[in-house]
Amino acid sequence: MDAVYRFALRLTGEPDAASDLTQDTFLRAWENWDRYTPGTKAKSWLFTICRNLFLRRRERARRHDEIVTAVADDDPRNVSRESTVFLAVKDRDPEGAFWSDVVDARILEAIEALPPEFREAVVLSDLEDLSYAEIAKVMDVPVGTVKSRLFRGRRILQERLYQYALSEGIITDEGREA
Amino acid sequence: MTWTDDLRRILQRLRGERPEAQPPGGIECHEAMAKIFDWLDNELDPQEAECVGEHLQTCARCYPRLKFEQAFCEALKRASSNETAGADLQQQILDALVEEGYTTD
Repeated sequence: MDAVYRFALRLTGEPDAASDLTQDTFLRAWENWDRYTPGTKAKSWLFTICRNLFLRRRERARRHDEIVTAVADDDPRNVSRESTVFLAVKDRDPEGAFWSDVVDARILEAIEALPPEFREAVVLSDLEDLSYAEIAKVMDVPVGTVKSRLFRGRRILQERLYQYALSEGIITDEGREA
Repeated sequence: MTWTDDLRRILQRLRGERPEAQPPGGIECHEAMAKIFDWLDNELDPQEAECVGEHLQTCARCYPRLKFEQAFCEALKRASSNETAGADLQQQILDALVEEGYTTD
């Protein structure tokens, strides 16, 4: 249940809405128990229900002034293999030790600030340990799309958290703080 | 081994070059780099995972990058691991199920 709650929290961005969404997810799951395919991961199934409920609700809540969401660019060819953050720190902190000094709340904030498509991929993979195939099923996209969204989401996060680490003095231009 | 390989080796020796060594894991850096996340996410088949893993862990150029990405992914995982739904929510859900006409036994 914690996993569903965490996922709901990442989708909604606030605890009350996440509790409601979690509760509704379990109710819906209970009602549809006969549609659960034995052998598939229960967690994935619950995430799928949770996500569909969330999307349907957001659709309903959407006002006349259409919220313009940035369309995720899923083309893997547009993804650079290089990591700008790695290149920036490789001389002073090549093994990225500074990541462990970035506080949890800041990481979660940065995840919540990601465009939804990237956020879902990162949450389901890095936070909830689902496989690419399982994520593809939850998000209803091909595995290749999952990979590129996950990759880009991680890159964006790295850049934002690196900027934060610089501003907080967790890592400096001269080297890592002792 | 073909005669062209032999010829290349002879030429290399004549030029005073050291024969090319096999790259770590039998794959090149760019191939290992392209699969670094697949490897970290356990998405490769066992044979490929072994090659990529061996390369990343033994190549002096790729190893720091592996540690860097690993540290990043671990930080993400750690960030949410303390979040729990709270004891109330579980009871709430049970209550809601009972209200819908389900029994708890």
